[in-house]
Amino acid sequence: MNKIDTRVLDDRVDRDAMAQEWRRGYEAQVSSDKVVRNRSGLEIRPLYWPEAGTDPEFDQKLGFPGSGPMTRGIYPSMHRGRTWTQRQLIGLGRPEDFNGRIKKILKSGGSALSIIPCNSVYRGIDADEVEPELLGTCGTIINTVQDMDICLADIPIGEISIGLNDPNPFTMLAQLLVVAEARGVSWDRITGTSNQSDYISHFVANHMFYRLSLTGARRVQLDAIEWLAENVPNWNPLSVVGQHTQQAGATPAQAMGLTLASAIQYAEDCKARGLDPNRFLERFTFFFDVSISFFEEVAKFRAGRRIWARLVEERFGATNPRAKRFKFHAQTSGVDLTRQQPLNNIARVAVQAMAGILGGLQSLHTDGYDEVFTTPTEGPAKVAIATQNILKHEAGLCDVIDPLGGSYYVETLTDQMEAEILAVIKEIDDQGGMFKAVESGFVQRAIGDSAAHFQEAVDTGAQIIVGVNAYQDEGDGTAHPAIDRPDPAWIQKQIDSLAAYKKTRDQARVDAALEVLRRAACSESDNTYGALVDATRAGATQGEIIAVLRDELGFGRPLVVV
Amino acid sequence: MALTATIPARVLVTKIGLDGHDRGSRIVAAYLRDAGMEVIYTEPWQKIESVVALALQEDVDVIGISSLATDHLLVPKLMKALDGAGLGHIRVIVGGIVPDDEEAVLLKSGVSRVFHPGADRADIVDVVARLARDAGANRPDG
Amino acid sequence: MDRTVSDTPRLAARLIEGEPAALARAISLVESDTPAAIDILRAIRPHLGHAVVVGFTGPPGVGKSTLVNTYIAELRKRGKSVGVVAVDPSSPITGGAVLGDRIRMAEHTLDQGVFIRSLASRGALGGLSASAAQVADLMDAAGRDVVILETVGTGQSEVEMAMIADVRVVISAPGMGDDVQAIKAGILEIADILVVNKADQPLALQTCQQLKAMLGLRDLTRRSVPVLCTDAINRTGVGDLADAVEAVAGRVKQRENRSAVAGRTRHLLAQAVAKAAETHVMQSRTQTIAAIVQGIQEARLSLSEGARQVLNNLGGEGHDG
Repeated sequence: MNKIDTRVLDDRVDRDAMAQEWRRGYEAQVSSDKVVRNRSGLEIRPLYWPEAGTDPEFDQKLGFPGSGPMTRGIYPSMHRGRTWTQRQLIGLGRPEDFNGRIKKILKSGGSALSIIPCNSVYRGIDADEVEPELLGTCGTIINTVQDMDICLADIPIGEISIGLNDPNPFTMLAQLLVVAEARGVSWDRITGTSNQSDYISHFVANHMFYRLSLTGARRVQLDAIEWLAENVPNWNPLSVVGQHTQQAGATPAQAMGLTLASAIQYAEDCKARGLDPNRFLERFTFFFDVSISFFEEVAKFRAGRRIWARLVEERFGATNPRAKRFKFHAQTSGVDLTRQQPLNNIARVAVQAMAGILGGLQSLHTDGYDEVFTTPTEGPAKVAIATQNILKHEAGLCDVIDPLGGSYYVETLTDQMEAEILAVIKEIDDQGGMFKAVESGFVQRAIGDSAAHFQEAVDTGAQIIVGVNAYQDEGDGTAHPAIDRPDPAWIQKQIDSLAAYKKTRDQARVDAALEVLRRAACSESDNTYGALVDATRAGATQGEIIAVLRDELGFGRPLVVV
Repeated sequence: MALTATIPARVLVTKIGLDGHDRGSRIVAAYLRDAGMEVIYTEPWQKIESVVALALQEDVDVIGISSLATDHLLVPKLMKALDGAGLGHIRVIVGGIVPDDEEAVLLKSGVSRVFHPGADRADIVDVVARLARDAGANRPDG
Repeated sequence: MDRTVSDTPRLAARLIEGEPAALARAISLVESDTPAAIDILRAIRPHLGHAVVVGFTGPPGVGKSTLVNTYIAELRKRGKSVGVVAVDPSSPITGGAVLGDRIRMAEHTLDQGVFIRSLASRGALGGLSASAAQVADLMDAAGRDVVILETVGTGQSEVEMAMIADVRVVISAPGMGDDVQAIKAGILEIADILVVNKADQPLALQTCQQLKAMLGLRDLTRRSVPVLCTDAINRTGVGDLADAVEAVAGRVKQRENRSAVAGRTRHLLAQAVAKAAETHVMQSRTQTIAAIVQGIQEARLSLSEGARQVLNNLGGEGHDG
């Protein structure tokens, strides 16, 4: 009897002390916390937790946001303090078009900037080597420092977080750095993330972003991480991506497991380079797909956050508390959207977004309901942003931190997802790590199997998709949106401007810089990224730079598993 | 002799242009395989000339082009190239994200059918089988 | 789908001229065992014997297609035109197949000097090696200097394939020496050249030695078999492989005579007969077959006696599958 009493007493002391610590952290982040009331006039607290002395598992498994197991969120205040960043991807043909649109967005209160390049840029090919029909249809054509400068005209690049969809070897970041230099903005003021830096995920699933051979990409990536830590200390060079694998068919648990296995691989590679886990791990960020499987997605994020916090401490011995923060961006899943009855997609996106928000995301992209017809057009893109604002202001999703925490269902599911995710990580460890597991096709086969399994469920009707295999509506009169393709004359102008750029630059200087890059690629002891920035400054285009690296380090041919 | 079993249709499933999303093409390849067809599968980013060379060497009846990020805009060029190579009998289908007005352009260029997300498995298999028969009947050399 | 051809002599003539479209079409006709096939095969007879047929086989995962890809590049450097027959299994249930071997050979797609054809094994259509041999002949007649046959070595097929090839290359990978041995004692018996691919990996040397030791156990009266190390991805060792193939091909071409050709034909015939008998037994609904089956079940007939009766029955009753 005494024994039990003591334990309860100890527990009480711990729980209350932790709550106080959380409160201090919360108040430091939320300077003037106004009282929040619901429509019935009831006061809504920022966080709810079990009374001390009850629920003994709480402290080990959940704890308070911003510390401990991190299950409930990575910051003490989460969305109650600062809501997530609305990071809408916009793809616009020419740098001028992008600049016009982004200025409008910033004027209307946007706080972050994302650049999505044209598919040709993703492939590492300049505009003068691509079928013109494909230019600027999905993103902005950015081949040179000049293009980047136009994209960012009148934008205070030292004061805004910049997201670059910039696959390895980070040529857009190099352009950004050269633009900053020319404007006298010092590199330590450049903040943001290389959003498409996870070359393993591109090898496995999103092949469009895959530019260099697996071993070549690995080497260049480490060079960049090392060089950026020295020269651009506030830049996040790595965003580990779970989105591509889930879009390709991985289940949510599989996608989370594979993403964490990739993060482990990158961390081990960094460690092998002699980098300090306390420093590089706090720069790791993540990017996930969020599907309509609502509770599963919430549990996926909570479980992933808990596993990461533990991995950082136990596997990599990092003591920096910031390294334990599982920072992630989420994008609503395009795979769930249907062509049939397309307005239904607005409802789907809202539910997906809710799952991501209640799962504790840091930034969010909501899909336009027309993404199943085309890259999003302006009208549907507006609805997508409005969806986020509705969830934020009308639905009150920001009022409470981890509002689903403590639910019997959600906690059980979180535990179960955690076990699934850990099993995937173990499987990859047994394969010798993620790098080996993708080299052999193990991961690709697993994802392919899951995709086939899901499709089978849809084909047999076991998984109902409204409007597709159930509740079909022949008379669905929704007009499909008109598509706005770039004007061929404007695209021609862009191609001409590249030709003019190539003519006016100092060709000897370009050639010399590319030669230095080539030599750096051939020598294991040189850092390719420094040479890449130099070549960019000298006037080399992204296509030329990637061509040199492809020559020396191998072309990015994904392993196609059938 | 009992060896005149049905000869499997031969189908090239591929992607042209710049995009690399291949979930759809893999699933369709599996559908056609499971329907008893022989599927020649490639990596993405095929050039138009490569598709022509592949179709010729493999003597396919049908080409399936998967497109999710505007690469279908190149399909009219492919249709011309196939004709130019004497492969006009080969039937071409496109699957993926194709806006309505551009679907019309593709059909006009000679594409037999455009499949959209959510297309029915049985429909895909039936259409490909029928198109393979059409192709066989329209070969220039019989 | 019935594929017929109206003008076989013209197709054969175009093939002999080396026209890729004609070769592709002729392969389909022959592979599908259409009535036109025999006419084409007859027409090309005077044009055979030019090509060296090289068989590549080995267990899955050793990098066969990648090695073939690199070997093609080497042959092109040496000015040779190349035909490739890449064989993948058909599903025994649906008959369908996904043919993906040529993915690893994509760099040669636009090279007029390289003609690649994916072949499904089509279990029911008269034996894999029969059609592969005929496809190799068509490529030979079309003027290809080297014809490569690539097969997955997971069973009997590679030994069958070996009957067709002039030069047989058996591929292994580091740590897979045991697998090669496990797959078939026969696979080592048929090898003219053994390759350990992925030689950049640890255990490569060890596997080489292991294979040499296994070869040492072979009949000492046979000539020695070179064991080579290649790294197909980094393209090393492939020149040596090409040299070794040329050396073996030189010997084979000298040795080749009518009786060898007749022997090979006899072997293919035997396979075709076996296949035909199998089809007959499995699909026949006649009393005779049913009676033989029952006789064996009731132990009144031995299996071999039953087989003899089936063969007699084949001659008498014709085909009813």
